Amino acid sequence: MAQAALPLPEMSHSFTLLKPAKPALEFTLPDLDGKPVKLSDYRGKVVLVNFWATWCPPCRREMPSMERLSRRLQGQPFVILAINQQEQPDQVFVFTGQLDPAPTFPILFDRDSTVSHAWGVLGLPASFIVDKQGRVVYRAMGGREFDHPEIEQTIRAILK
Amino acid sequence: MKAARSLCLCACLFAPALSGAAEQTQNRDPDSGLLAWKKVDRGFSLELIQLLPEYVAALYSSRGLPPAVVDSIRGYCVFGSVAQNQSGGTLSYRVADWRVVTPDGKQHPLKTKPEWVAEWTKLGSDFGWSILPATMSFDTGDWAQGFTTVRLPPGSHFDLIYSWRHHGKRYTGKMGNLVCAPSEPPGLP
Repeated sequence: MAQAALPLPEMSHSFTLLKPAKPALEFTLPDLDGKPVKLSDYRGKVVLVNFWATWCPPCRREMPSMERLSRRLQGQPFVILAINQQEQPDQVFVFTGQLDPAPTFPILFDRDSTVSHAWGVLGLPASFIVDKQGRVVYRAMGGREFDHPEIEQTIRAILK
Repeated sequence: MKAARSLCLCACLFAPALSGAAEQTQNRDPDSGLLAWKKVDRGFSLELIQLLPEYVAALYSSRGLPPAVVDSIRGYCVFGSVAQNQSGGTLSYRVADWRVVTPDGKQHPLKTKPEWVAEWTKLGSDFGWSILPATMSFDTGDWAQGFTTVRLPPGSHFDLIYSWRHHGKRYTGKMGNLVCAPSEPPGLP
């Protein structure tokens, strides 16, 4: 079909500092293997929570940069949780297998968008940074280039 | 998904400074012949791209949505839309405040995400994530993307009157001479 993709703006590389920081809402969601994952299991680590879907063009674009960021911060108390919206594990599995680099961080399934709605997500993608105390300290709406030095620096500052 | 093809739009589009003149640009996709428009006005950037009705239906079908959901959007003029905050501060918009004005002077509201979700929920599904968020308060660098929809036939001409808030003040902008996608691929001149 002769139809181009949705317009793709330049990816941003800024996060908005939230003042005051708010406690992150707890969730328990299944991963690709169906194993339940709780946000509070990562207390003491900095967590990048990303809401996404395979059909969402900026979500597709930003995911490899999340993996590159994850690799740069290897060994640090940092984890990415990518929360898929309303899709099936086999759809996601096919999609992530095409990415370079493919994600090694947990992908969770929010099948009825309960968690995204509770977190106040209005559009995809949306990302939040949770500090070691379990507080949401930064927010970003729309796609990001996660391995941009500015974002890496922001996360390293929270890790200190 | 075939939709992953690049539109090659961004490199051609000009983003004026916050205080600069608000100029509307138009681009034609070299592959499809479809049109896209962008305007950056006082820190609020809005971009609309024509979407063929069959493309939209195919996108919804490919998500496995019920035929009734796919059919529900067939009577609408649909644009891919990107709203971006380039203001240097917090900015907000409300799609319910926006109006499409056709050459006969009639005003048409856009169908908002909550309206679609309410309709689709009754039809047994919810693909609300595909629609531009109905309200958004976002910071510099943030952006929102999704479909904007208005009940007009393919090929309809109209102006879009839209508004946003910045530092507590309401601004109104206009994108003129917009056209709904034709029912069939337009081809190239």
